[in-house]
Amino acid sequence: MTLSSKLLENKTVLITGANRGIGKVLVETFALNGASIWACARKETPDFIEFIRDISSRHNVLIRILYFDLKNETEIKESLKVLITEKSKIDVLVNNAGVFHGGLLQMTTINTIKEVFEINFFSQLFIIQYISRLMIKQKSGSIINMSSIAGMDSYPGYSAYGSSKAALIYATKTLAKELAPFNIRINAIAPGLTDTDMALEMETKAKDTMLNNSVMQRLAKPNEIANTALFLASDLSTFINGQVIRVDGGM
Amino acid sequence: MTNIEKYNEIFANCFQIKEGQMSKLTYQSVEGWDSVGHMGLIAALEESFDIMLDTDDIIDFSSYEKGKEILKKYDIIF
Repeated sequence: MTLSSKLLENKTVLITGANRGIGKVLVETFALNGASIWACARKETPDFIEFIRDISSRHNVLIRILYFDLKNETEIKESLKVLITEKSKIDVLVNNAGVFHGGLLQMTTINTIKEVFEINFFSQLFIIQYISRLMIKQKSGSIINMSSIAGMDSYPGYSAYGSSKAALIYATKTLAKELAPFNIRINAIAPGLTDTDMALEMETKAKDTMLNNSVMQRLAKPNEIANTALFLASDLSTFINGQVIRVDGGM
Repeated sequence: MTNIEKYNEIFANCFQIKEGQMSKLTYQSVEGWDSVGHMGLIAALEESFDIMLDTDDIIDFSSYEKGKEILKKYDIIF
């Protein structure tokens, strides 16, 4: 089920990782709810362009695209500059992009761990640093970080991914305190295993363990994650700040 | 309004101070210029002069006078 009450009318949202998995569903859910969207992806593909065009015309909302590689700080900065030149306000930032890596620590190079942190943590902080400056001027905003239950619980093979998501949770809680004076809320979502391409990248055994731990014994649907983000983005959650919301069907 | 008038007005509004107190003003020398006040000051300057300061410049912005030096990098001439 997807909520549709125009909860984000007159709001502008920036979503990273908008070209796949949960990100695509976020774009659709937010467009359905009347948001103007900056959809960010790493590179241009005909499928992505077509997807954005379709969503934009179906829901009659403005969706603009930004391309940048999360591993490249200069590229992120150059790309986000358009928000300044166009004097675009950003009411909601969804730090959704991320990369999965599974493997025992002894089978993971430090460079791989650094790369996972670069995408799942440092680039997210960089984007928050940039976008929160716009929000400070507006004296309002909602930031949503896509963490993971792997950042709260521990699983063998998750040292790189889980640590990066745990770091994001810590940053979320700290920044909630730093940004509250400017009326900016920041929360995290911790999805359980979700039915996206990322789930396919997992080792079957690890995936089964996670599923068996879930009370509802199934994968999350991407729209179940997107609806939680919608709630946190909307004015329905104006007193929710510094929280991590698990969307895992119960563990 | 000239640039210096705008600059002074922002300091006056952010920290509730008079123009005579400004030249010697440094970070944390008045109650309002703490870390939160600093971000409010930066936001007000960016809004007023239509610029976006680099993080390094936000960190280096340690006094009223230093701020003027930094803004020159963004073509704000006093």
